[in-house]
Amino acid sequence: MPLVATGRFGQLVYDASEAIEFPVGLPGFEQHHRFVLVEQPELAPLVFLQSLESPDLSLPAVPVAAVDHQYALDLTPEDQELLGLEASQQPFPPPEVRCLAILTAPQDGQSTANLLAPVVINLSTRVGVQAVRSDARYSHRHRLGAPCS
Amino acid sequence: MLVIRRRPGESITLGEDIEIQILDSTASHVKLGIRAPRSVVVMRTEIRMVGEQNRASALGLSTSEVEKLLQTLNKPSSEPISPV
Repeated sequence: MPLVATGRFGQLVYDASEAIEFPVGLPGFEQHHRFVLVEQPELAPLVFLQSLESPDLSLPAVPVAAVDHQYALDLTPEDQELLGLEASQQPFPPPEVRCLAILTAPQDGQSTANLLAPVVINLSTRVGVQAVRSDARYSHRHRLGAPCS
Repeated sequence: MLVIRRRPGESITLGEDIEIQILDSTASHVKLGIRAPRSVVVMRTEIRMVGEQNRASALGLSTSEVEKLLQTLNKPSSEPISPV
């Protein structure tokens, strides 16, 4: 099994089939294309999007539903194409799609979730994108614990 | 902020070599064409905001921050929201 040195999890063993390809990287990290989701039961619902290319790049995230259980996913045509999804599919998103909100926890501030740009992963193709919405319905700094719109 | 009224087909120029043309306009959308040198980074503003937010998220979490996050996330969400 492949091994990757990580800042947060030390030597991390993962199955090669678990790697997720981000064809266009993530905003701010455009050069990073391969990640794994690290999920530890004691940290649920928290998961970490761990870069396989950079040991120190690990982004905390939660399922968007844990932040807003009525979250309505909206993908641009470009993102739908990358993910191999069509918005006309029923149900949408289909069950093989995971939708995560990246969290930010400043040392002395309010923790927030990025609902403007969820990380959307198609588990059947192992392709992911950070889908930046083109509407202004959700915030990139949604306060955790705040009521949802 | 400088405000300029333009119609489809018209354009504005920024500096020596950046031109922004209004290609089309509807009630809800404006379609822009941008001509600029390759060295000029052009991106949707929200993508830049998300990039900044991702870099802040990547600074990492201490054990106590993870605990705090889990507390917030696992708090029952059925608390009544007081009317404004």
